[in-house]
Amino acid sequence: MTRQTMFVTLAAVLGAAQLACGGAAVPHQEMATAQAGVRAAEVGGAAEHPQAELRLKHANEKIAAAEALIKDGDNETATLRLREAEADAELALSIAQQEQAKKEAEQALKRIKVLMQEARS
Amino acid sequence: MKALTWGTRSRLACVAVVALGTLAGCGKEALPPQALVSARQAYQDAAASPAAELAPAKLDTAKQALTQAENAWQEDPKAKEAETLTLAYIAERRALTAQALGEAAKARQDRVKLDEEYMELQEKRANMTAEELERVRERLAITSQKAAQSEAELEKERAARAEAEKKLSAAVASLAEMASVKEEARGMVITLNGAVLFTTGKYELLPIAKSKLDEVAKALQEQGFKKIVIEGHTDSRGNAADNDKLSERRATSVKDHLVSQGLDASKIQAVGLGASRPVATNDTPEGRANNRRVELIVTN
Repeated sequence: MTRQTMFVTLAAVLGAAQLACGGAAVPHQEMATAQAGVRAAEVGGAAEHPQAELRLKHANEKIAAAEALIKDGDNETATLRLREAEADAELALSIAQQEQAKKEAEQALKRIKVLMQEARS
Repeated sequence: MKALTWGTRSRLACVAVVALGTLAGCGKEALPPQALVSARQAYQDAAASPAAELAPAKLDTAKQALTQAENAWQEDPKAKEAETLTLAYIAERRALTAQALGEAAKARQDRVKLDEEYMELQEKRANMTAEELERVRERLAITSQKAAQSEAELEKERAARAEAEKKLSAAVASLAEMASVKEEARGMVITLNGAVLFTTGKYELLPIAKSKLDEVAKALQEQGFKKIVIEGHTDSRGNAADNDKLSERRATSVKDHLVSQGLDASKIQAVGLGASRPVATNDTPEGRANNRRVELIVTN
């Protein structure tokens, strides 16, 4: 497993070096999309729900990794990281929405329970 | 089945690469299927979730992402490794996204229903009948079960019991105008005024008596009982044999009606006692009216 991981890392590094020579363009569009996704997740309350926060963290890490890669001239790998970041950000937002909806449903249920209790007494 | 096929492919590819002398190729290829397997699993889970019905567009997006990942890997496992991994990574997250959005939609639906129920409940609260209360409580118990099963079960049982008690007292209260209820040594005695139940000399139940008895039957059914003795009584006018016969027929009418409402006939006994047990004087019209009665003695 360790050997495998090491190998993959090595392969990725070599691959990155190779791709860097290809001279792909700086992924401005992907960067903007990923960043917009992160902002949407933040506005959508992702930071308030642990599972959403985790995905948001992944997205931010991927963006940071992409920035470093762009600096090194590996635009192709940076593009991949940014696409992953966008998927993470979207997931973060969805989870936040799910949690929020669940919370609201629970509150609605609670409200009825209180009313029932009042009706009973 | 599908995963097995992929595995086989992967192994075959490995063998081929090893034969060419590049051990490195194997490690490279073993990983994409793993990432793909996660993505496939995530998609399957999402497809089986409320997303299928409530977030079909997102689910379709997830499917497309998965297809892209599968294609990239299938096309050229070795050269496209980095892209395949990314596509699989994205596919898995798209599937999880679809699932989360499906669950969110489901929760919103629940919430709308609960809100409607709340409004309805508030409206009806003042004049809610015991039956409606029970219905709502049942639905409530079902919803609670999803949220907290064990807690909900306890609550449901408690609610059902409270409800049964409430219904019984409500039925008894509505009976008050035509009946009285007393706790006596022989059991709970429900005394029904003969004038409300029957017309003079007849033993068919009046419609109003039937509807009241329905409520009693329902309450008894829920509360549970060991035995019910139904006693028919008359005043002292007329001859004793006729009175005995009439009082027995009347008691039987009440029994038959309770049985028709689902009570266990084997636990109910109907007897006619004629004028033998007056509860008031037979010398005044008022006293005689009180003596004309049917008594239900309920033992638990």
